[in-house]
Amino acid sequence: MLTAVNHLQGLATRLAAEGVEVGEGPGPIVPELKELYWGAGSFIVFALLMRFYLFPRLKQGMDARYAGIRADHEQADAERASARAEVADYEAQLAAVKAEAAAKVDAARQALEAERQEQVKALNAQLAERRAAAQAETDAAKAAVRDQIHAAVADVAGRAGELATGRRPDATVVARVVNEVMAR
Amino acid sequence: MLAEAFKFPEINAILRWQDIFTSFNKIALIAVAAAVIGIVVFLLAGNKDAKVAPKGVRNLAETTVEFIEDGIVMQTMGKSGLGWTPFLLSLFIFIYLCNVPGIIPLLQMPATARMAIPMFLALLVWVVYNGVGLKHQGVKYITNTIWPPGVPVALKPLVGVIEFISNIIVRPFSLTVRLFANMLAGHILLVTFALLTQSLITAETQQLLLKPMAILPFFMLVFLTAFEVLVAFLQAYIFTILTAVYIGGAAHPEH
Amino acid sequence: MEAFSYLAALTGDEEKAAQAASSAGFAYGLAAIGPGIGIGYLVGKSVEAMARQPEAAGMVRTTMFLGIAFTEALALIGFVVFILIGL
Repeated sequence: MLTAVNHLQGLATRLAAEGVEVGEGPGPIVPELKELYWGAGSFIVFALLMRFYLFPRLKQGMDARYAGIRADHEQADAERASARAEVADYEAQLAAVKAEAAAKVDAARQALEAERQEQVKALNAQLAERRAAAQAETDAAKAAVRDQIHAAVADVAGRAGELATGRRPDATVVARVVNEVMAR
Repeated sequence: MLAEAFKFPEINAILRWQDIFTSFNKIALIAVAAAVIGIVVFLLAGNKDAKVAPKGVRNLAETTVEFIEDGIVMQTMGKSGLGWTPFLLSLFIFIYLCNVPGIIPLLQMPATARMAIPMFLALLVWVVYNGVGLKHQGVKYITNTIWPPGVPVALKPLVGVIEFISNIIVRPFSLTVRLFANMLAGHILLVTFALLTQSLITAETQQLLLKPMAILPFFMLVFLTAFEVLVAFLQAYIFTILTAVYIGGAAHPEH
Repeated sequence: MEAFSYLAALTGDEEKAAQAASSAGFAYGLAAIGPGIGIGYLVGKSVEAMARQPEAAGMVRTTMFLGIAFTEALALIGFVVFILIGL
């Protein structure tokens, strides 16, 4: 590598140094006419070709492709928007159906509730009736027992008075006294 | 002594080349090759199908075009300057392809390290931007150039001289010298380190230690070659962007 | 200093060439000072700006290259003078 580079550099310097007109000639900052002609000529040809043929052709292709890409983007955007609209539509339908279902469920629940209330009321009435009947029965039985007790007590009290005084006390008086004592 | 063994050649010996045939030397060869390579690349790129994603030559050409459009024209001239893209594109490609032979083995000579091509290009740019200024602003271009808007009357003579020199004389001069001197300096550096390497290896000395030391300038040579790749691109870029700035300034003086 | 004592021993064309070489070196050395400082300052400020506002990095970079181009021109003119009088 080293020797190759050296060889090349040595070759280059020798090549330059051996030239007939190389050593003398204008200083390094004076432009040489032949280089000026060739450089100017090649640049002007290049620039003109670039301006009128090469660049417009390339740019046309680039613009066409970018326009295509932009159109694709726009199409994709449009498709996305339509898909979004469809989704919104579907969601609206879904909401309507849901609301309808909820209404139906509500109505059914209300009907059920009313029926239940009715049944509960009927049952309550029946219960109250039965309770009242039982109460009346009990009261009647109680009164009968009380009368029996009163009669028995009056009887016992009258018999006790007859035994003590020798004469039968008045039944109404005994009944009143017994009633007073029992009520105390 | 090494100092006597190492003799830097005459400056012309490393810059001037024998004619390959009458009045056609290496510099001319490089310039013609740069134009031909540019034309061929864009011709091949244009022949490819534009509809599919670009690759290969077409990708290279389109990347360059977009670099010029986005990196140079839009940054300096804005949308109205897009018509200048082909000119700036050919300028950039031509200068870059003239710079790059400075590091290509066997060629190893940047065509822009000679005065001719940079001077021609700078003069062309000078003609172009002055022409654009005269076309867009008419005679007012001259007064606008010499007296920027808002200069007090008392300062007009002084400002006029300064602005005239800087706009009309210094601009093409500095464009030329910037490109020329950068490439020449790079070339001289490469030659210096190559010759140092060579003379250390071939030095007739008793001390064998001297020969392995040739690795040091050789490393420098490799590093400088890599650096020249950057310089070749950067100089082409700077020449092109300055051209764009000058043309944009001539077309729209308020910027 | 040795170089200068060597100069004193020369005569005629040799002396002229030696003086030219040394003054060329001075010319380039002096021409490199200002642009060196300038480019350093310029790039430093640009990096600062890019770090502060990374979204403006592209514009800053373009302007930085323009500034470098203008600053560097001075050093390059020095280099051309160096070529002219030295070699």
